[in-house]
Amino acid sequence: MGTITALGLLLLICMVAVGGTQGLQAWISLIFNFGALFFAMVLMAFHLPPVLVTLVTGVIVLAMTIFLGGNDSNSTMIAFYASVAVLILLVLLIIPVEHWVQIQGFGQEDSEDLEGMSNILGISYLNVAIATAILSTLGAIAEAAIAIAAGLAEILEQHPKITLKNLQGAGFKVGSQIIGTTFNTLFFGFFGGFLALFIWFAGVHYSIGEILNDKILVGEVLMVLFSMMSVIATIPLTTWAMVASERSARKKFMK
Amino acid sequence: MIIGAKKTRSFWQHWWPYFVVILGALLVLGVAHDDGLYQTPILKIQSVKVISVEKQSDQFNNEDHQVEQKLAGVITNGANKGKRLKVENTYLKSQATTLGYHTGQKVFLTVHQNQRHFSATISNLKRDTALAFTVWLTVSLLLILMRFSGLMALTSVIVNGVLFWLAVSWNTHTQGGIVLVIFGGLAVVFAALTLLIVIGFNRQMLMTLLATIGGTALSVIVALTVFALTHERGVYYESMQYVTQLPRPLFLAETILGSLGAVMDESTDIIASLMALKTEKPDISAKQIFKSGRQIGGEIMGPLVNVLFFIFVAETLPLALLFLKNANSWGYTFNMTMSLGVVQSLISGIGIVLTIPLACGITSLMIGGHHSWERLRH
Repeated sequence: MGTITALGLLLLICMVAVGGTQGLQAWISLIFNFGALFFAMVLMAFHLPPVLVTLVTGVIVLAMTIFLGGNDSNSTMIAFYASVAVLILLVLLIIPVEHWVQIQGFGQEDSEDLEGMSNILGISYLNVAIATAILSTLGAIAEAAIAIAAGLAEILEQHPKITLKNLQGAGFKVGSQIIGTTFNTLFFGFFGGFLALFIWFAGVHYSIGEILNDKILVGEVLMVLFSMMSVIATIPLTTWAMVASERSARKKFMK
Repeated sequence: MIIGAKKTRSFWQHWWPYFVVILGALLVLGVAHDDGLYQTPILKIQSVKVISVEKQSDQFNNEDHQVEQKLAGVITNGANKGKRLKVENTYLKSQATTLGYHTGQKVFLTVHQNQRHFSATISNLKRDTALAFTVWLTVSLLLILMRFSGLMALTSVIVNGVLFWLAVSWNTHTQGGIVLVIFGGLAVVFAALTLLIVIGFNRQMLMTLLATIGGTALSVIVALTVFALTHERGVYYESMQYVTQLPRPLFLAETILGSLGAVMDESTDIIASLMALKTEKPDISAKQIFKSGRQIGGEIMGPLVNVLFFIFVAETLPLALLFLKNANSWGYTFNMTMSLGVVQSLISGIGIVLTIPLACGITSLMIGGHHSWERLRH
């Protein structure tokens, strides 16, 4: 058995053991997301517009991750709406910034990987860079939206009569408790993944000026920042959506 | 007097994020005019003329357009400041390895100076302003929306960034010989410091730290066991990018760091929610705490695994596309570009899942009271 298969099966066992049906759903969503990502890549290789492919993939991925992740249908629905709103805001930010900073494609540090490769590609790598940045934030958006919505749903379940103002306060409180660690998830996720690049920088003695203008590093830092901004935006948007939904639910109940 | 002082204090308490935002905006403006700080000559492009566009193709029937452009501009720093210069640049429209430039951009030059002739080629684009702007935007949003907790989150990222860089330099000094010791040990320091900043020193922080270290350690042990049992078949260390030292320990260090943040995130989420629940409902039993925690954990574990999956795998997209356009098979492309990211996601995923019972167990033992646990056992 290959290592990837073994790890995948082990993850399935762990998830089912801890989460039951929900664990199975979580595992399926991971496999599905891999399929979606791979499929999006193949579509891009067939010259479909990368940004459009990414947007469609993004909404599908958010839906799958959130609906297969949560079990409270009301809170997951709200998490989904909020996450799509964040995705749209983020795309509006990413496109101009990527046009400005031009980090697309490969840097001089990649030259070993590019040896013997044809670089006549016919795909706009600027759009590929935009697609990459959007895709890398999808997980963070879904996770933050679910964390807030699940936390609020839990509080609502234990405290059905909490006032709307306190509910909003509770949303920001849960948000303020998760933001620090969510930032670190992103920080370590990205920088852990690029440890080798930093070791390269240190070993070759890049100057600060070279590092701050380096194509790969700037691209990487921007991806962290985009993810962080998406998490920041998710907190108020999900909280407000939750409060609005609870308000309308209570109005109906009163009538 | 006292009322006045109080007023000033509350004024600052309310408005400090906005002052930081304005200060930051001035800094970004400064970065946009920092050319004098660079030793490398910088050219500000004032006009761009396209000389020729030529269709190109390769043996895989890919088609692209090669564009030749002539850039005219003025040097903005150093000894040649104010000198007007014309530079030629050739790029492919796909811009994977070459770049096309626009009017208004600033570029770094490599100068070729003969006795009389002064000519130059472009070495890189100046990106520091765009970087500073995005950092500023992120920090501004963070401080205005999240205020104090935003400041703490920012502090923890900065502290971790500095520590990270120190660890990288230390690793370089030891020629990468003890990379696992450095980053494994630092993972513990990272976790402790981050939780200290984010939560503060209390029982909740200690419980979270315990769950974090336990979860990360478990995931590494599981990973190493699986590696040994499967003889690492399908793990292509040679596909690792930017490797300057032994790849295997480096890969493990990357995986530890990568999953550390997520495991910490998960334990914090679970334990923070449970503590909030306990405050809202003080008479809750240990069994109920465990059950609630498992429910919260079950809901967030899938999304959290996906966070890392997208971070680890999405960034391989440009290289994977390059492989595909070079007529490599899907399987080979996956092995050479995505497989390591997938392995990392799976290992982190296992860590994230195993952290749930760990965090719930620790919390219900610490705040649930012993009686209810005895009841649970019978």
